[in-house]
Amino acid sequence: MKLLTHNMLTSKCMKGVSVGYPLGINASDVRVSEVDFNPDFIARMIPKLDWAVLYNAAESIGQLEDLPKDLANNYENDQEFLKKVHHVLLEVDIINGELVCPETGRKFPINNGIPNMLLNEDEV
Amino acid sequence: MNSAAKTKKLERKLKKLQHTVLRETGMSCDLTPTKNIVICNAGLVNGLSEEAIYKHFSQHGILENILLLPGKSCSFVSYTKLQSACNAFETFNGKLNIAQDNKPVYLLYTSSLPVVETSKTWKNLPPGLLILEDFVTDEEETELLKLCDFEKDSNGMKNRQVKHYGYEFRYDTNNVDKDKPLNEAIPDACNFLWNRLSNTYGLDFHPDQLTVNHYSAGQGIPHHVDTHSAFEDPIVSLSLQSSVVMEFKLDNQHLCVLLPRKSLAVISGESRYDWTHGITPRKFDVVYTNNNFTALERATRTSFTFRKILQGECRCSYKSKCDSYSKQVNASIENDAASRLEKLHVHEVYENIASHFSDTRHKPWPNVLEFVQSFDTGSILVDIGCGNGKYLGQNTSSFSVGCDQSTGLINVCKDRGFEVFTGNCLSVPLRDDIADGVISIAVIHHLANEDRRLQAIKEMVRVLRVGGQALVYVWAKDQCKNEEKSSYIKQDRRNRKCKDITSRDGAVDNEVSVLQGVSLPVHTNRTQFKHNDVLVPWKLKGRSESDNVFLRFYHVFQENELPGMCRELSNVEVVKSYYDQGNWCVILRKV
Repeated sequence: MKLLTHNMLTSKCMKGVSVGYPLGINASDVRVSEVDFNPDFIARMIPKLDWAVLYNAAESIGQLEDLPKDLANNYENDQEFLKKVHHVLLEVDIINGELVCPETGRKFPINNGIPNMLLNEDEV
Repeated sequence: MNSAAKTKKLERKLKKLQHTVLRETGMSCDLTPTKNIVICNAGLVNGLSEEAIYKHFSQHGILENILLLPGKSCSFVSYTKLQSACNAFETFNGKLNIAQDNKPVYLLYTSSLPVVETSKTWKNLPPGLLILEDFVTDEEETELLKLCDFEKDSNGMKNRQVKHYGYEFRYDTNNVDKDKPLNEAIPDACNFLWNRLSNTYGLDFHPDQLTVNHYSAGQGIPHHVDTHSAFEDPIVSLSLQSSVVMEFKLDNQHLCVLLPRKSLAVISGESRYDWTHGITPRKFDVVYTNNNFTALERATRTSFTFRKILQGECRCSYKSKCDSYSKQVNASIENDAASRLEKLHVHEVYENIASHFSDTRHKPWPNVLEFVQSFDTGSILVDIGCGNGKYLGQNTSSFSVGCDQSTGLINVCKDRGFEVFTGNCLSVPLRDDIADGVISIAVIHHLANEDRRLQAIKEMVRVLRVGGQALVYVWAKDQCKNEEKSSYIKQDRRNRKCKDITSRDGAVDNEVSVLQGVSLPVHTNRTQFKHNDVLVPWKLKGRSESDNVFLRFYHVFQENELPGMCRELSNVEVVKSYYDQGNWCVILRKV
């Protein structure tokens, strides 16, 4: 699971959960692999992200490197910055671990890079 | 070209066509005169009509038969006299320009006509249909026509003008508002009809709804079954001002019935519940009477159709056409049952067939591909019900993420390097307003009731940003649209040649009890669907017969059902609604 996916996932569909975001991450196996860099893609993706959530997620799994806490001004033209975002968004993969609902503590296992977000009948 | 060369050319042409006719119909034909002429190069496939044949060939004598075969490019004409056939042959061969693109027809003789089951016939009436000729007198006809003046009140429809008494028949819902009677009841002047029906024919019928249809010459009415739950049995229709040919269809049977002027048609039982009826729009009908064909020019026609409103639901035994039956099946699949049904007959089946299923799902559908590839760099695309991920790698400048209920299929996606998670389309674990595009291809037809199908659409819309678009595909009940068979039907070789796929539809669907109190019909693969809620068998190769068949639940959609559901939502607009290879499809935009 990439952190870009994590940035979108929520447990809000569970009974009794109102926001369900962001999900906590317990990672037991994190892999980093190289992905082609497309600065235009990253620049257009940034406004769609919850930046704070991305920052905290990267920090929580020790993959922050030197990503700034705040968005750079004029980031569209800042290749170095975009590269760092690219790395965090797409090159970091959580292979095994779990996601945790911030409101109920319900855990969603991640196996082989796949979060299992299925809910039991009594949870919806 | 000199005339010798012309003759030579004609001979070569005929030689070739002789083989075509033999191959297409099994009939041998040649230049030995008989009463039967084969039109070798024109038939239903290339647009030849009964009327066109009649118009020209009747000039040479009395026609005994006109035979047009579904899916064929040749046709047959028989005369009562040999001499007539010879005259027509000499006059028309290579000269009469009524073949495709106004090309000339080429003719040969044949000793007899092919015996076919699927063509239109005049021999019988559908069971339950009664035609009572001269039911009213000229004077009574005049009086009845005065009741309803169409010059003044014209609530015009595309095909014809309509006026309702007693209750309004609503063409949008195909039903009547049973608790909203109209101010105008059936005029008392019609009462003599029921007395006559009772006194002369022993039929007790007391209608409370009347629809008067006013057809100009050339207008028709599309094939339909009168909604079961709206009206009792029978339906009674009086033809005034002009005769017309009404056609009745059931599976591969196609019967033509002349409704003479001033006759009363009593449509009951099988003909009312199981057969569709309609009137082809055209200026004149070719009518078969007394063993020959004649033309009947249509004039303005008014029909008075009398019906009795059904209180409660229909309990007929013709389930495949019964809206009450569909509704009852749907109601029996309440939410708890629906989720158990989906678990047993969707989720567990996909786990069992995942790898075989994935092996058979390689080729992306072009229109879906086009949609996926229409998104800009940096877009977020979500594939809800992504299966083996065949659309996930198709737009490399966007971020695509897939979601599926099946662990087996999601593993296939992951092995192919795609970003995915396991999840259910009824509660998509994504933030609101995040996606630029959503696709859901062949997914929500697996949901067992309408509330759940609508909930799935709501979820797609919820995750879309305002301005974002979703593409939804569902399986269509109708697998044969505009004479075009879907690829699903064509995968059975036997279906490719015959035009009318219902001709293979002999099989009766068995019912299987899926849950306590819920039974569903099992669909016969590669045939037209007969029901909306069905079990479709998936056969795994290489296993014993008993444990290799899995039944998947499907709700197959009617035309307009999908866009109709989408329009219930206030925050979307339907950008496009179309039919694609046996599927109904919509593109939605969040507003």
